[in-house]
Amino acid sequence: MAPYENAAARSAALRGSLGAASVALMFAIAPSAWADDPAPIKIGVIAEAQAVAGSSIPQAAQIAADEINAKGGVDGRKIEIVSYDNHSSSAESVRAFQRAVNEDHVNAVIGSYISEVVLALEPWASRLKTVFITPGAASDVITQNIAKDYEHNKYTFHGYLTSGALAGLVCDAAKDMLVDGLKMKTAVIMSEDAAWTGPLDAGYEACLPKIGLKVLDHIRFSPDTTDFTPIFNKIEASKPDVIITGVSHVGTQPTVQWKSQQVPIPMFGIASQATNSTFWKDTNGATDSVIYQGVSGPGVAVTPKTLPFVDAFSKKYGNMPSYAGYTAYDDVYIIADAIKRAGSADSGKLVDAMEKTDYVGTIGRVQFLPKGDPHVHGLKTGEGLITGLMLQWQNGKQVNMWPATLANGKLEFPSFVKIASGK
Amino acid sequence: MLFWQILIDGFAISSLYALGATGFTLIFGVTGVLNLSHGAIMVAAAVAAWAASGNFGAGAYVGAVFGVVVALLLALATYYLIVRRLQLSRAVREEEKEIFILTATLLWGIMIQEAIAYLFTNNAKTVLPIVDGVVTILGVRTPANEIFTAFVCWATIGALWLFVNRTLAGKAVLAASMNPRGVTLLGIELSTVYVGVWAIYGALAGVAGVLLGMFLGVSSYSAGPLTASAFSIVVLGGLGSVSGSLIAAYVVGYLETLTAYLISPAYRAIPALLLLVAVMYVRPRGLLGRR
Amino acid sequence: MLRRALVSPPVLISLIVVLLAATLPLYVSGYVLGLLTIAYYFGVFSMAWDLLFGFANEVNFGPSFLIGLGAYTAGILDNLYQPPIALCIAAGVLASMIGGLVLALPALRVRGPYFGLTTLVAVLMLQNFVVVAASLTGGEIGLTIPDVISIDDKVNYWIALGFMAVSGAILYGLTRSPVGLILQASGQDPVQAGALGFNVTKHKLAAFLVSAFFSGLAGALMAFYLGTASVGTFIDVTVGVQVIIGAVLGGRRTILGAVLGAVFLVALGETLRPLGDLATFIVSAVALIVVLFFPAGLLGMVKGAREAT
Repeated sequence: MAPYENAAARSAALRGSLGAASVALMFAIAPSAWADDPAPIKIGVIAEAQAVAGSSIPQAAQIAADEINAKGGVDGRKIEIVSYDNHSSSAESVRAFQRAVNEDHVNAVIGSYISEVVLALEPWASRLKTVFITPGAASDVITQNIAKDYEHNKYTFHGYLTSGALAGLVCDAAKDMLVDGLKMKTAVIMSEDAAWTGPLDAGYEACLPKIGLKVLDHIRFSPDTTDFTPIFNKIEASKPDVIITGVSHVGTQPTVQWKSQQVPIPMFGIASQATNSTFWKDTNGATDSVIYQGVSGPGVAVTPKTLPFVDAFSKKYGNMPSYAGYTAYDDVYIIADAIKRAGSADSGKLVDAMEKTDYVGTIGRVQFLPKGDPHVHGLKTGEGLITGLMLQWQNGKQVNMWPATLANGKLEFPSFVKIASGK
Repeated sequence: MLFWQILIDGFAISSLYALGATGFTLIFGVTGVLNLSHGAIMVAAAVAAWAASGNFGAGAYVGAVFGVVVALLLALATYYLIVRRLQLSRAVREEEKEIFILTATLLWGIMIQEAIAYLFTNNAKTVLPIVDGVVTILGVRTPANEIFTAFVCWATIGALWLFVNRTLAGKAVLAASMNPRGVTLLGIELSTVYVGVWAIYGALAGVAGVLLGMFLGVSSYSAGPLTASAFSIVVLGGLGSVSGSLIAAYVVGYLETLTAYLISPAYRAIPALLLLVAVMYVRPRGLLGRR
Repeated sequence: MLRRALVSPPVLISLIVVLLAATLPLYVSGYVLGLLTIAYYFGVFSMAWDLLFGFANEVNFGPSFLIGLGAYTAGILDNLYQPPIALCIAAGVLASMIGGLVLALPALRVRGPYFGLTTLVAVLMLQNFVVVAASLTGGEIGLTIPDVISIDDKVNYWIALGFMAVSGAILYGLTRSPVGLILQASGQDPVQAGALGFNVTKHKLAAFLVSAFFSGLAGALMAFYLGTASVGTFIDVTVGVQVIIGAVLGGRRTILGAVLGAVFLVALGETLRPLGDLATFIVSAVALIVVLFFPAGLLGMVKGAREAT
């Protein structure tokens, strides 16, 4: 501001500052009464807007923001979603994150379902001291990094299930469905040789024997495998009762070849592509009877909030949300709730408030693992919290099988699959 | 039992590689062009077949034919729009033309790949198979589709052989690969020969692509690896030699299958890559290479 | 000749452009600075590629092999032991130069398409290795690099700009020097060059090492800028294609044109961002049109126009 050069300007300035002081005083006395247009809460959303799974993230976040704003916002502050398309690139995500914090001044960032991207952003959340939560990536390294250096990395939260946790949930379901239900005794683990399946397979190897399934073999195949014949032949040679899967990069090809080879063993476990509603068409129906883990399913009311969200989403966008949409929707609510409890959007206070989250979202009850846990800031899993679902493709539809309380169908298998119900 | 499994499975994969590589080497042998959009054309054929048969419900046969036609058109487009344009260009020096054509076909391949991803997403797709069910050969339960694949591959290669060796047009093609100028002296229009060869190439790539789509499935991401694979096989066998490519295709196919069965499916691609590196260092012109 | 080259119009214009570019942080947003930082590193990648292609006449279809070696070696070293950043970068450059040597050996024995294939295979093998040795390299998920050179976008921008300017000066000077002319001769007609008594092999090998040096250095620097290394950012064939297109677009055999091409590509990609997947299609189409109809590239067109008048 240029120094005042004449008396008129000075008296105007005096009057101005008096006015400002009185307004400030009023603000101090009755903040809510006078705060008719307070600064909005900005949440940056960095996602792969072109990918099937990623496009739901900003869309779902917007729905959550609209709902919260319709109810008056957070203490009168509206939520504004600032969206960035990262084209599935880590480099672009890093740039977007820097822009979001430095120029657009967001209070928190919701980002990506790809582990590679999340791991690239994690250190930037620490450097720029901004709360960052991922609605979809599965790598255990995300939370391991937080455990390794809590003070620096505490700003990151893992809003989805880690590979290790996923293995545990698959085992829980396998116990009920396969061991107790179908009296199965043996299994072969089949997973793609990638970084995310490291902890997944370790989890499988540990928990499957505990529930009563003996692991006969463990096959890891190159993620750019196109010919699965040798793999299925190898599996069949061991004669297991079930194939426990860990696939994400591939899906259509092994499934189609499984059917065309008429492998007599059912598939059960993690198969990311099977969660897509277009998977039946992509495989020309070969996915019939494949059982896969998911956090949502058509018509399944995991919590009272699930189906209303799905309705709102499909009404607004004309298609069903991907799994990351559910968690992104919850993440906006979680951030808003934390800001409300902290009374401020300051990052340090926000971190503390988020650690105390106890929120019923669309996929279950969300609580974060506390400091000291090897997976600090990851989701707590288990009955009453988040269990996930096990769904089976039947006649073009995804039908939920587990937990029993949320099941809307019974297991069915095509004729070439031999279920060894050892009675 | 394992032996028969390896034999049969390896045979189907190798036949598919052979068909893809044959088209690639044919184009190089006759026109001197290394078409880096090869993989993209194959994927386009497969996705077109998938779209027609599965998505729009035209049935497996119609879908397959449609896929081949799409590849044919793309191959001709590649020739007219890109290769011919550069070959006749005066702005590019002779010794640089090869490199420019390589770069241009690479870009063209990327365009096709991205167009596929944009229109149909990059999710993997499988083409509705013409033949269904399984048969048991020597105790090995094999999908009938696999046998169909190997059969069609060899039928196509056989037809190509007949064409080149028994028909006048085919002999003109062979002559053009050896001595283009000589061919023109005989009164045969060289450009007609080229168009013919590209059309044949399109058909070969189309059949290979559709079969691949039925047998294993493709996605827009497959384009690059398919080109690299065809390229490797052709170099192994010797650029320009069709029989060399056939042999090399089986070597690579069986090498991969053996690795997948006996060592680990995780390392499937590695021995073939190592073999290629070895060939590059020791005998760069490949098994039966001429140029 | 070198002195005359130094005050020639292209150099003077480049100097002015660099000075102007250095003032950008004063009035341009951090986002654009970040974009340009990456563009400048790609400019160095493309310049290094042009040295090999435009002069030594070797088409390297896998520049990302050298770039990836530089970036990953530096990153892995930092991840494991956290030595000083300069040491990591030096290690990256060394690795890249060894890689350049490995590529050079078959290149000097085979011609044209065979060499192109070797370079492509090198990229595939590196990619395979990174995915298979996931515990060391982070696999397909990527490598977290604990240290970055700076978190200030202005500082990062100036580092990139300075590095690009210096690299450009060295590379350009090299091509205008007697060594560069011999290289050009070796590339265009090795038989004649050899007949004139020049050691073609030695010069081509030198070209490889220089190209590898700059590629690896730029790769390592970029890794320490991003704080992350992944297959998609450094090794994938699409990265290599972007490098090649940048050089060809800008004008082969001009070195300086490569920077033009790289920045143009980045700018084009940015403006087409709203179109999503279609953007790559359009960028490739534009590049294809340039290759087909304006093979001399952007700078080549300017040079041609000047020479014609």
